[in-house]
Amino acid sequence: MAKFEAGMEAMADMYVFETTTLLEQLDQILMKTENESSFGEEEINEIFRTMHTIKGSSAMMGLDNMSKLAHAIEDMFYVIREDNPVITSMETLYDIVFNASDLMKAEIELIQEDEYTATDFSEQIARIKAYAAVLKGEAAPEAAAAPAQAAPAAQAAPAAASSAAPSLTSVKVYFEDDCKMENLRALLVINRITDSCSQLEYVPEDIETNGDTAQIIVNTGFNISFAPADGTTIDAIVDIIRTTPNVKKCDIIARGSGVAVAKTVSGDMTSVRVYFEDDCKMENLRALLVVNTIKEVCDSVTYEPADIENNMDTCKTIIEEGFLVNFASDKPQMVLQTIESTPCVKSYEVIEDDAPKAEAPKADTPAAQAAPAAQAAAPAPKAEAPKAAAPAAQSKEQINNTIANKGGGAKQSLISVNLNKLDTLVDLVGEIVITEAMVTSNPDLKGLRLDNFQKAARQLRKLNSELQDAVMSIRMVPISGAFNKMTRIVRDMKVKLNKDVDLIFEGEETEVDKSIIDQLNDPLMHMVRNSMDHGIEDNVEDRIAAGKSPKGKITLSAYNASGEVIIVIADDGGGINPEKVLAKAEKNGILTRPASDYSEKEILNMIMLPGFSTNEQVTEYSGRGVGMDVVRKNIEKIGGSVSVDSKYGQGTSFIIKIPLSLSIVDGMEVSVGQSIFTIPINSIKESFKAKPSQLVKDTDGQEMIMIRGECFPLIRLYDMYDLEPATDDLYEGIVILVEAEGKRACLLADELIGEQQVVVKPFSPLLNNYNVKQNGMAGCSILGDGSITIILDVGNIITDF
Amino acid sequence: MAENTNVTYTADGAEVLFFDIGDTVYGIEIKYINEIIGIEQITVVPKIPDHIKGVINIRGKVVPVISIRKRFGMEEIPYDDRTCIVVIEFEDGQQVGVIVDRVHEVVVVNKDIISKVPDSKSVNSNRYLKSIINMESGIRLLLDCDKLIMD
Repeated sequence: MAKFEAGMEAMADMYVFETTTLLEQLDQILMKTENESSFGEEEINEIFRTMHTIKGSSAMMGLDNMSKLAHAIEDMFYVIREDNPVITSMETLYDIVFNASDLMKAEIELIQEDEYTATDFSEQIARIKAYAAVLKGEAAPEAAAAPAQAAPAAQAAPAAASSAAPSLTSVKVYFEDDCKMENLRALLVINRITDSCSQLEYVPEDIETNGDTAQIIVNTGFNISFAPADGTTIDAIVDIIRTTPNVKKCDIIARGSGVAVAKTVSGDMTSVRVYFEDDCKMENLRALLVVNTIKEVCDSVTYEPADIENNMDTCKTIIEEGFLVNFASDKPQMVLQTIESTPCVKSYEVIEDDAPKAEAPKADTPAAQAAPAAQAAAPAPKAEAPKAAAPAAQSKEQINNTIANKGGGAKQSLISVNLNKLDTLVDLVGEIVITEAMVTSNPDLKGLRLDNFQKAARQLRKLNSELQDAVMSIRMVPISGAFNKMTRIVRDMKVKLNKDVDLIFEGEETEVDKSIIDQLNDPLMHMVRNSMDHGIEDNVEDRIAAGKSPKGKITLSAYNASGEVIIVIADDGGGINPEKVLAKAEKNGILTRPASDYSEKEILNMIMLPGFSTNEQVTEYSGRGVGMDVVRKNIEKIGGSVSVDSKYGQGTSFIIKIPLSLSIVDGMEVSVGQSIFTIPINSIKESFKAKPSQLVKDTDGQEMIMIRGECFPLIRLYDMYDLEPATDDLYEGIVILVEAEGKRACLLADELIGEQQVVVKPFSPLLNNYNVKQNGMAGCSILGDGSITIILDVGNIITDF
Repeated sequence: MAENTNVTYTADGAEVLFFDIGDTVYGIEIKYINEIIGIEQITVVPKIPDHIKGVINIRGKVVPVISIRKRFGMEEIPYDDRTCIVVIEFEDGQQVGVIVDRVHEVVVVNKDIISKVPDSKSVNSNRYLKSIINMESGIRLLLDCDKLIMD
């Protein structure tokens, strides 16, 4: 994890988690709206809010670049929301937003590394701003034509004024009382705006050299006349002046054209009392977040309690009395909205509000007239905001409504828990199950008749198994998360390959262990890419000729079947031509039998053999092959398997079978001398007693067992592991035919003990130092009697042999 | 005299658990020790070095067990009812059991009687020792757990 300010590191995990989730949500919204090719109000608000949260929390973590990028997007959507512009090029918009989302995701990845240097997003931010300007520019005439739209009109007016009249704008600046050295403060103002102005004059002029000017400024104010440079507006400059330290007031005396648009933006303060959600913890930092976020949209912010940053005790005060924020802004509405969308804010109330809006030119627009009506129509339905002040009541009513809706509609019923804690819980339950067996089948009880004990023991067993199920279910997450990521891939490839494809989900609510889902992303992505690239026909004409709909279809489906989850990736593309696969396999020397011996299924599954697609474009056969052996390896790593089903000309399906959970394995216990080994059932093909007629030795003395005409190498477990067996007689012991990664071998053990589900426990790091994994041991587990069994990794045994 | 011995001291001195291996008394700082249990069934793990005897089940945790005798290149003796497994826990939570012949007591050792291990040219001697404790009852050797188990 990158170095954060002290005290922030603990929050870094949470930040990474939250932001990742938000970005995923963003992708989903974008994907949805892109399909419908329009933004609903709901979606815009959602994106706006998402970006706002990311902006706020990034700023809190001190990640300025993230914060700024999110800010730029937020601003862009602010324009979209407020001005409602006609978006001419949806594609550009989506490109920009997707790109930003990708950048942020990449940045989050980086943050999690030790050495982290912030990436510079300024180029991207410039692009977003430029596009936002385009949107805004288009909005202006439209807004002017429709004066009913109060907000855009107000925004557009100064813009129009500034472009129409390049003459000087005059402002009078007052400084805070007793701030001293007013002349130098004035100089600071001049220095700050100088770059943004094409013309700049001020009175008194000799502020730099003449200390007496300080008194003049105190008495009469400091007069500045300027013309904005290209690319900036009068408002922007006034903003700069207002945000200069110690500036109390900045009155516009004459706007460019000379038209008196008396926009008094002064030290008028709005006071808001903010309450946070119950139990949200660290109220002081949340409050700081509020302050930081509104700082960007206000001129001056003061707050109470003041020492929230350093004093944890302020939490209590905030909980009890709320958090008091005073701010000055010409857009109090926007500030309030900002407060509202800050995470964990439950409610707020406005204490006093000298809304400068009343003096603003839009005072006689219908919006203001509508205010009392709206107020009457919504007779303060919430106890949370009992004294919403009059002038700005309308907007606040709305905001409060949204908050109330949010609070009532989606009661927070989810919590996020550190996976480690869940692991501990699973461990504990595993122990309880084992302990239960130790108690109920305790040797001390042998021969005793204990009716009541047995009854209680049965009850205990039942409860334990329920507990086990409940705990396992906590770790289960729906597979939809993994599926949803594919939407994005399909979207990108659709554009790149110029293929029109529908991605359909079925059974995405199917649940799989979290750790498995995490490992499923790559293989899924690979296969979906393959389906897009090689599965779906390149030409729409081919599809139509084959009697299919011109639009391709890829279906991702998941369902449960006998303790396994089955995931199918199906496309209705060209399918795989088995003859070509066979020919290819023959050429690559993969075949071990005469070509005519292979069934179609066997042939299809060849595409997942390593070495099938080493060179040449397999794609021209509309076959897969590229990296399919990698996919298979990854799936097998999590204990799953992959197979292919395809009808030439009609489509291809990949069927993935994965266990529900990594931590519980169905195993067959076998004994070798004193040791007990567990062989995962899914790698066992059969077990039998060998007959002398089945034993074959090759020239090196390597033993092999002949089963139905096929020879498999014999691995004597006691030999391999240097153990003392109960018997070294092949015909006394039991032979188990195992298969992994397409290879088979026979293992010799003393005897089969039985089948049991075992909880997998990893080896201690001390043992891992000695390559236990490479020696075919996957982990260990504890049996009902407290003894330890070693779980074998058949794949490693076979490949190493 | 107590400098550079890497031993953690409390106000009174260092707390050390002493135990026997053959005729020698060794000690391990108490901060490493999780618990002491009697010898129990050890499950053999194949293909690991000799001194790691296998794994045991401590309340559902699978903990590897090493034999100090093997580690020191000594003959192993049959386990009896005085044989103990001292369970050591490292800072990262990793637990390791150490088989010892018999356990004495925990003693608060005054830091004045703890001294550095002399540097030795011979590679093998002293390599598991942290310091030497000069008690009235005789010289006792404080073991370095990290080296004893990890190296």
